[in-house]
Amino acid sequence: MVKSGAYRLSGASLNGDRIRAMGPTMVLAAVVICAALTAPHTLSLRALAGFSIDAAPLLLLVFGSTLPILLGGIDLSIASTASLAGVLASLLTPELGSWAVIVIVIGGAAIGALQGYLHAKLQMPSFVVSLGTLGILSGTALFITNASALPIDPGFFLIDILADRTAGVPNGFVLVLAIWLALILALRYLRFGRNVYAIGAAELPAFMSGVDRVQTRVVVYALSGACAAVAGLLLISQTLYSAPSLAQSLLLPAIVGVIVGGTAISGGVGGMASSMVGGLIAIAVRIGSVVLGFNPAVQNIIFGAVILVAVAATIDRQKIGIVK
Amino acid sequence: MNPVVELRGIVKRFPGVVALDRVDVDLRPCEVLGLIGQNGSGKSTLVKAIAGVQEPDEGEIRVRGVRQRLASPQMAASLGIGMVHQEQSLIGSLTVAENIYLDKPSDSYRFGWYRWRRLFDAARRQLDKIELDIEPDALVSTLTFAQRQMVELAKVLAVEELVEGQIVILFDEPTSVLGRSDIEALFRQIRRIGSRASVVFISHRMDEVLEISDRVYVLSDGEKVAERNRGATDPDELYKLMVGRQRAPDDARQSRLKGSEPQLLEMRGIVVPGHVHGVDLTVGVGEIVALIGVQASGAEELCRGLFGLNERMAGEISFAGHPAHIKGPTAAIALGIGYLPAERKVEGMVRGQTIAENIALTFGLDFGRAGTIIDRGKERREARLWADRLKLKATGIDERIERLSGGNQQKVVLAKWLMGRNLKLLILDHPTRGLDPGARGDVFRAIRELAASGLAILFIGDTLDEVLSLADALHVMRDGRITQSFPDLAAHRPHEEEIVRAMV
Repeated sequence: MVKSGAYRLSGASLNGDRIRAMGPTMVLAAVVICAALTAPHTLSLRALAGFSIDAAPLLLLVFGSTLPILLGGIDLSIASTASLAGVLASLLTPELGSWAVIVIVIGGAAIGALQGYLHAKLQMPSFVVSLGTLGILSGTALFITNASALPIDPGFFLIDILADRTAGVPNGFVLVLAIWLALILALRYLRFGRNVYAIGAAELPAFMSGVDRVQTRVVVYALSGACAAVAGLLLISQTLYSAPSLAQSLLLPAIVGVIVGGTAISGGVGGMASSMVGGLIAIAVRIGSVVLGFNPAVQNIIFGAVILVAVAATIDRQKIGIVK
Repeated sequence: MNPVVELRGIVKRFPGVVALDRVDVDLRPCEVLGLIGQNGSGKSTLVKAIAGVQEPDEGEIRVRGVRQRLASPQMAASLGIGMVHQEQSLIGSLTVAENIYLDKPSDSYRFGWYRWRRLFDAARRQLDKIELDIEPDALVSTLTFAQRQMVELAKVLAVEELVEGQIVILFDEPTSVLGRSDIEALFRQIRRIGSRASVVFISHRMDEVLEISDRVYVLSDGEKVAERNRGATDPDELYKLMVGRQRAPDDARQSRLKGSEPQLLEMRGIVVPGHVHGVDLTVGVGEIVALIGVQASGAEELCRGLFGLNERMAGEISFAGHPAHIKGPTAAIALGIGYLPAERKVEGMVRGQTIAENIALTFGLDFGRAGTIIDRGKERREARLWADRLKLKATGIDERIERLSGGNQQKVVLAKWLMGRNLKLLILDHPTRGLDPGARGDVFRAIRELAASGLAILFIGDTLDEVLSLADALHVMRDGRITQSFPDLAAHRPHEEEIVRAMV
């Protein structure tokens, strides 16, 4: 009896592992094949370079928000951080020039670090902390702009360089890939990465093994905030104007990208490689619905449905216990 | 008189242990039956079988002469059997009245709607029965601990309206957290209900059991070893019976030259409010110091406090010659202190990760490059080494920890600490709980080897057997104090009765 029970258990989780590992890649392959069959021109190098400009901010948001989800939490404030970063770029570049970019990224990290600290130290659920922050940041963005779009003057080195291309490849996209690689290495080779996975898998045993919960959370949410700020700067480097709700529509696709890639919302499973696949799927859905001429509202319906299905497929129910 | 409850040949197995081994029990009408025995002797398992909380694997239960299957507390309640739990089972955010009727049919609600007036009146009657002056509409969370214990009693006593005749009330260590006056109040209630109820009473305090019980069963290692009437026994005989059947350990340790090594840990006047009331303790380099005590003795709280898990712990700690203020596990580990928790599944193992990941979690970077970059090759070699030394049975170190048996999981958690090169003191909180004899032997052997190589061990033992075969020094704890110390077990080997007397 024990034996069959053990077999069933291992069989079930093996299946889960396989779905997590292979499922997203197969979905992505299917999407690319569909594109090749229905609209082959979308896969030309020129078109792909164009897409990569559009994709860079969303991909970066996916990577940044992977970290809190690996911990078993979530950061809902990323899109409003990105929007506020754009607004501040418009307002600060006349005063600070390129330095504004550095100030904004550090500011994004600081807002994230503060969220991580509140979440860990006061034991508030991360979705509450980041939902509150979402309200505060998006309200601030509306307030300081009087709810209007602001232009940003070209000619600032750090912003121009983001908008430029090297050998036909958009610099912004290269930056996102570099950040992606850095995060992969940090998760694999630093104590930080080990701590993130241990907290995500089982927080109490990790704590009893000497993992610093507060420090790890502060760093994770700081990285998430910094990624969001950079994503906001990438957005305005393309549009050359900022608006208080510029990035607002990216929150749902970013979370969808993380989950569809196979990172479990319950934490501890997944990572940056999964999020690359998931992020590309989210981007393919966005581009696909434009190419096929869907009403933009349909996108959100798709993303909403996809997130429900993906969470149902990847969540670790044994760990969650009581769901609230 | 025919017994109200008869148990015949009850067997209950847990992985690695036989908790109850063919136990027979008769509970007669209107009697108070005491159960005594050491930790792990099967007392709680026995009352849980009667209460329908844990169904036995074998054996027969008869209630009022009729064979019954007690598969759930509701089934037991419908037969007039109720249990007052060790951990209180009341829900704090509900009223006293709701709690009393939570698990019972009643006419105080209809179509899912409460009829509050009736509910409160019915509860009032239950509370009056035990002369308890609490408003039925009070929230349980506003009551004191002792009041909740009495509400729990009222809740259980309310089953008497569901059945004709005798009811059965089971008490699993009801007094462990009560003060003397509350205990007397509880005993008054037990005597008062004596005409209507049969009572089974577990306590780890010998004097209390003898005071309230008409008859006593002694359990040891899952077997009933004796039955005595109140007048026909005394505490000395009961102590002997509790330990009597245990074999003497065959491999006691060699006497160590006391005072030859420097002290590693010195604790002075340690207080953990509510748990530990002034403990002095020293552990030398390479010394194995055991703590033993019954539940709520304070040994666990002392050890957890030392690992930085209780902010309210006060007192002086000196570690490796320096005063230490241990604020949390991270600080403790930095000093070279490790802690193997008693709750392996909750606090010890990282579910969902592999054996290698679990072992490398704490000290992996000791084998990394420049102390910052993980070197998986080196780390895995070291993890494999410890897995072999502890005779870990697994298909490989990439197997997930939750697929291992309990004993092998414990070995992984132990290996995590042993990997630390700078580990000086390892605290073991019930290290062999739930382990089969083979795994227990492997863990013991490793502990001895480690101590021989200079690691200090502070451990809380489950049985006298374990403590006497492993430790250099033994401290017996009871109610938050050290009641007796045996600083050199090899030179002076105490009688087991002597130890048990200090425990209970």
